Amino acid sequence: MAEYKKPLPAISSLSEPYWTGLKHRDLKLQRCNDCQTLWYPPGPFCPGCWSRTFTWQNLSGRGKVNSWVIFHQAYFSSVKDEIPYNVAEVELEEGPRLLTNLVGIDNADIKIGMPVEIVFDDVTEEVTLAKFRPLGGGSK
Amino acid sequence: MPAWDLKDQAAVSGVGHSPYGKRLNRSTIDLAGEAIRNALDDAGLTRDDLDGLIVSFGTPIGADADTLAYALGLKLRMYNQTWAHGRFTATCIQNAAMAVSAGLANHVACLASVSFSGFRKPMMGGAGDNEGAREGGGGHGEDPVYGMTSPGAGAALVAQKYFHRYGATSRQLASVAVAFRKHAALNPAALMREPITVEDHQNSRYVCEPLHLLDYCQINDGAACVIVSRSDRARDLKKKPVYISGMQGLPAGREEFIWTHPGFGTSQQKVFDYKPDLQPVYQMAGVTQKEMSAFFTYDAFAILVWTALERWGYCKPGEAAAFTQDGRIELGGALPINTNGGLISEAHVMGWNHQVEIVRQLRGECGPRQIANAQLIQWGNAYGDSLIYRKG
Ligand SMILES: [Zn+2]
Repeated sequence: MAEYKKPLPAISSLSEPYWTGLKHRDLKLQRCNDCQTLWYPPGPFCPGCWSRTFTWQNLSGRGKVNSWVIFHQAYFSSVKDEIPYNVAEVELEEGPRLLTNLVGIDNADIKIGMPVEIVFDDVTEEVTLAKFRPLGGGSK
Repeated sequence: MPAWDLKDQAAVSGVGHSPYGKRLNRSTIDLAGEAIRNALDDAGLTRDDLDGLIVSFGTPIGADADTLAYALGLKLRMYNQTWAHGRFTATCIQNAAMAVSAGLANHVACLASVSFSGFRKPMMGGAGDNEGAREGGGGHGEDPVYGMTSPGAGAALVAQKYFHRYGATSRQLASVAVAFRKHAALNPAALMREPITVEDHQNSRYVCEPLHLLDYCQINDGAACVIVSRSDRARDLKKKPVYISGMQGLPAGREEFIWTHPGFGTSQQKVFDYKPDLQPVYQMAGVTQKEMSAFFTYDAFAILVWTALERWGYCKPGEAAAFTQDGRIELGGALPINTNGGLISEAHVMGWNHQVEIVRQLRGECGPRQIANAQLIQWGNAYGDSLIYRKG
């Protein structure tokens, strides 16, 4: 695998199950055992009821584009060859929103509300990122 | 009824700033010292009168309160500092107003001194994205792992959603930058004074699409300072006081995203029709939006003007795009906004340059860009804090 130069997540004790889930092809978030709130980013308390008992739940991996942007400026030298690149905010079927990159689609074809599904991108041996593509497969 | 009514108990007694410039090659302590000295001169105070200091933006881009006191030989009874973010302008002034009202200090200098272009490392965006690497995430929706970096990207996310939800356009947003540039043309301190057109805006390159370069603030060096004093002391000083009549704190929580109001649906916000209701700042000051001579807001990106107008009830969600057309927000319009030229065209001094301008407007010191008979001005932000200033 070629050396991956883009920023990598700072994996903490809180977020480790999330990243381990992605590595094993599961998108998992915490769901409160007491009030059923599902939340992101990972945290120690249910932001709804302050319970500390939760279950890491597997999600569908489907959602829709809530908003998106195109970077025309390379703030990192490691993305210099990728501009213009997209970043999308995807709203999962189950509610929480994630920032991600859309793959298998031209930037010009991205639309708010379009249905998308997760693609697991193993960027290093340790880290897998959650990217998304148009539901039913990308065009390229 | 609050236990302790702070309406008009504190006032701005002096304002001052350093030159603003793209590459001043001056230290942030040097710039801060000049701004503080100019503000004290403006108030008719001396260095020995100053016993409080509140800094809104320190390391790594600005001068810190403790090192400033040391370098400038200040003798302080109290100092305070917020972390390096522009959003704390009102918070600092509120804390100063409380401090002088409570007798913790007589005169408090509040300021930011920044060097974005100088010899400090960049903090926001790119390889120095310390903001995006915070535990819990970046304050503007940063997620550098997916290339989501810089405060402007979060604003671009809001702009895209705004355009889609309300059928608004980038072309309409251009009116904000065009208006502020007209204001800057009348302001000798402003960095960008050449007039621009809607076409110039549309033809400027995208930085983070859908935001164009001309939707973005300046990146510069400079310092601006406001002296807050107890009102009875301020009345004895050189200039007429400008009273702090209303204050409202900076909200936070899962229904807040820094670049818009609740209900908008960015980050983890729920989606609902936001209603501004009766915001505490108006209740405290005993006034309404209709009485404002002008509105000032943190315009790091043009879209924030729209979401601020909606948060503060100058128009309903979705209506700001139309509201900002036809010169309504320009000098001479129904609601002039950021008559200094804003962060977009005067300079980016974390909103402290706006406080200087508000005070000068309420004193009638603004020359060709003076608002006729200015009585009340609101500082109100997309992120939900506010001050109402009243002419003394
Ligand atoms: Zn719960």
